[in-house]
Amino acid sequence: MVDKKPKGEERKIVFLEKVAIDGAPIAYIIVLAAVVVALSFFPMSAILVSGGSFPMSQGVLGLVGWILGPIAGAVSSGIGTLIGIFLAPHTAGPIPAVRVLGSMIASFAAGTMIFREDRKGWWFWIWLLAFLSFLYFIGRAIFLNGVGIWPVIAGTFIDWSSILLFLLPTRNLVSRWIKSDNKALVASGLALGTWIVYGLTHVISSAFYYHLYNWPEVQWYALIPLIPFENVLRAAIGVVIGGGVITGLRAIGLVKPDNAIY
Amino acid sequence: MANSIAIIKDVSYKYPRSVNFVLSEVNLEVVQGEYLGLIGPTGAGKSTLCLALNGIVPQFYGGRFFGSIHVAGLDTLEHPISTFATHVGQVFEDPVTQLISTSVENEIAFALENLKVSREEIMDRIPKALAAVRLEGMEHKHPHELSGGQKQRLAIAAAIAVQPDLLVFDEPTSQLDPVGAEEVFRTAYELNKELGMTIVMASHSAEEMAAYTDRIALMSEGKIVALGTPEEIYSDTEMLIEHEVRPPQVARTFYYIKKGGQAVPEIPVTMDKALPLLKKINKTSGYSLIDLPSPPVMVGEPLLSVKDLQHVYPDGTKAIHDVSLEIREGEYVLIIGQNGAGKSTLVKHFLKLLDPTKGVVCVEGTSTVDLEVSEIARRIGYVAQNPDNQIFNTTVSEEISFALKNLDYPEEEVISRTLEALQSMGLEEVKDMHPLALPKGDRARLVIAAILAMQPEIIIFDEPTTGQDYRGARYILDISKKLHQMGKTVIVITHHLYLMPDYAERVVVMGKGTILMDSDIRSVYHQTELLKSTFLTPPQSVHMAQMMQQEDPSFQALLTPEELAASLTQQATGSES
Repeated sequence: MVDKKPKGEERKIVFLEKVAIDGAPIAYIIVLAAVVVALSFFPMSAILVSGGSFPMSQGVLGLVGWILGPIAGAVSSGIGTLIGIFLAPHTAGPIPAVRVLGSMIASFAAGTMIFREDRKGWWFWIWLLAFLSFLYFIGRAIFLNGVGIWPVIAGTFIDWSSILLFLLPTRNLVSRWIKSDNKALVASGLALGTWIVYGLTHVISSAFYYHLYNWPEVQWYALIPLIPFENVLRAAIGVVIGGGVITGLRAIGLVKPDNAIY
Repeated sequence: MANSIAIIKDVSYKYPRSVNFVLSEVNLEVVQGEYLGLIGPTGAGKSTLCLALNGIVPQFYGGRFFGSIHVAGLDTLEHPISTFATHVGQVFEDPVTQLISTSVENEIAFALENLKVSREEIMDRIPKALAAVRLEGMEHKHPHELSGGQKQRLAIAAAIAVQPDLLVFDEPTSQLDPVGAEEVFRTAYELNKELGMTIVMASHSAEEMAAYTDRIALMSEGKIVALGTPEEIYSDTEMLIEHEVRPPQVARTFYYIKKGGQAVPEIPVTMDKALPLLKKINKTSGYSLIDLPSPPVMVGEPLLSVKDLQHVYPDGTKAIHDVSLEIREGEYVLIIGQNGAGKSTLVKHFLKLLDPTKGVVCVEGTSTVDLEVSEIARRIGYVAQNPDNQIFNTTVSEEISFALKNLDYPEEEVISRTLEALQSMGLEEVKDMHPLALPKGDRARLVIAAILAMQPEIIIFDEPTTGQDYRGARYILDISKKLHQMGKTVIVITHHLYLMPDYAERVVVMGKGTILMDSDIRSVYHQTELLKSTFLTPPQSVHMAQMMQQEDPSFQALLTPEELAASLTQQATGSES
């Protein structure tokens, strides 16, 4: 087969379809929303504080953002989670609206990890929201409900670690690793990234929940090992599913959404 | 060219990750109202060209694109894909992937609703589209209740309801039984002749392409290497062989007859033109009796057996009833029958992927009730119809070694068996690639390699030639033959009867969940009425032999073009002349 310069004039290829959100074809958004819906059916662990289970879909919320970008990712996750709430109410959590909002935040945060000159400040606003939520959450626990400082620090490990990691250059490191050709680095990026973006979602959601439930100190002790364990599970889901999806997408060579990180 | 609906000018195209150009300086004009066939081996660029006709290539896939394609006067790179949805209808290989609605009429309405066609107009177009594909009265059926051919016709109805200027078919019949395939070709032909719709049809079905198309473009390595009438293209057998394309059996028969020294004025490509010529040759030169292989006699204990097998699916579908069958060591068995005849259901019982509702299934004399699925998996290798359903690892070599590792083989053995399987399937060069990055033919070979690594005694190939071109199909069947020669027991399910005379010895015909006939291949292929009852059509060479038998009952029951040509070109040996 020839590989010399062909006879015809080379054309600039533009995806002209209007049915795209922020450069992500609507078909991608629908497919990933369907994945979120499907994974909503699988409960992964009991969340004692709310008496429910977290769905497997929480492990891929970051992936949705890395594939579609912040806006399309948030839309896809939001739609998927909303439908999942109706079809799989056993994983919908105590306040379904918080679940939807949380999923959108996770994918949005993941999507902001791409470097784009015109969007270089986007990550900050999500970080600020998480930081303020964290202050409210721990402030209410320590000063209003009298929870000891050490149970609060240990019980919010995934929250403050994520806030820190998102603020530091580790944010860019995650996107570099996911972009890498080295599979081990991709897996590391997915694991660390999933930990971070769900940590941010967790702290924002927890501020809502704590405002309503004000769980006592004894419950904080029970949550200390449970919450990080659950986040490790999410990161593992992110690695297993995300690794396969990213490798597959690269292999197939389908057109990349404009703000994809992989 | 006047009245061109599509003008392809100097088009070259490369997918984002492909090394070479998939289309290379293609120039073609599709004339309004014609039925154009696209033929060529897998990888020739046919599907890419089909996708380029509505801008999906390159708009959706990206890559590098040279030249221009104008469809209905619009440049495919300057208008969104949705604009072309009203000009170009596409029908793909697998009807199931195209049907998304819960009723036949909703399926047709879906695209129209998306194009904002008014409700009244939609209600008006639905019956017309259904009538055009002969699906009237099925408006309220669920698409999954339809047969394979009907599903594909529904996909066509949904495409033509949009009233496109051009209808593009990309291998629409490869998953269908012969009668379903014939339905699709005939429907396309009627749309072309009665409604004047322009058709582009990419297909490996040489016999149907020869019968229905006006012009044929032969593609090879991304280029159009020949363009002409079906007679011009298919009669040039040597050119087709050079480009690894299968000519119709009629053309092949006459090619061999001509090569054998008989005077053949022109090589016919359709049955109607072949039959008078055959009669003429018989009248002038006669025929001779040729040596035919005698059917093998199998002895010994059965390796696989089912007795009074019945299977009813949870939804109440009675897939198999009162089936009894014995397969002995070293046999090569072909199982044939229409879509839904119960072939796959039967073989899944051998693998314990299904449990009998009634009856007994035995593997090497032991009932499958007493065997674990993993135990059976070591003895029986199953190559499923769709290779993608069996692929889930991220590299080719991981895919092959997956089962070995899970069955706790020692590491050295895993490595050596993986290497051996890679070599036997010619996959060493792509061992580190992602399986989904391989062409479909290679993915099928990968699945076979993974099965071979397990070194099973019995290998079941379920529709292994679906979606393969002639070269790919022969390649897989040659592997099955090699395995058979090594003493393995081989079971093949396929609709492609013309491929099997060189391979199968025994044929089991299934229809509506029962065994209609179980005999040697020659006897079965010549039971044309019985085959017709299970929606199968024997190869053209069988029809030609039967036509000769009508002229002269002592003419042998021949199976292949080679046998026919040998009979008509050898010196007469006591037969009539």
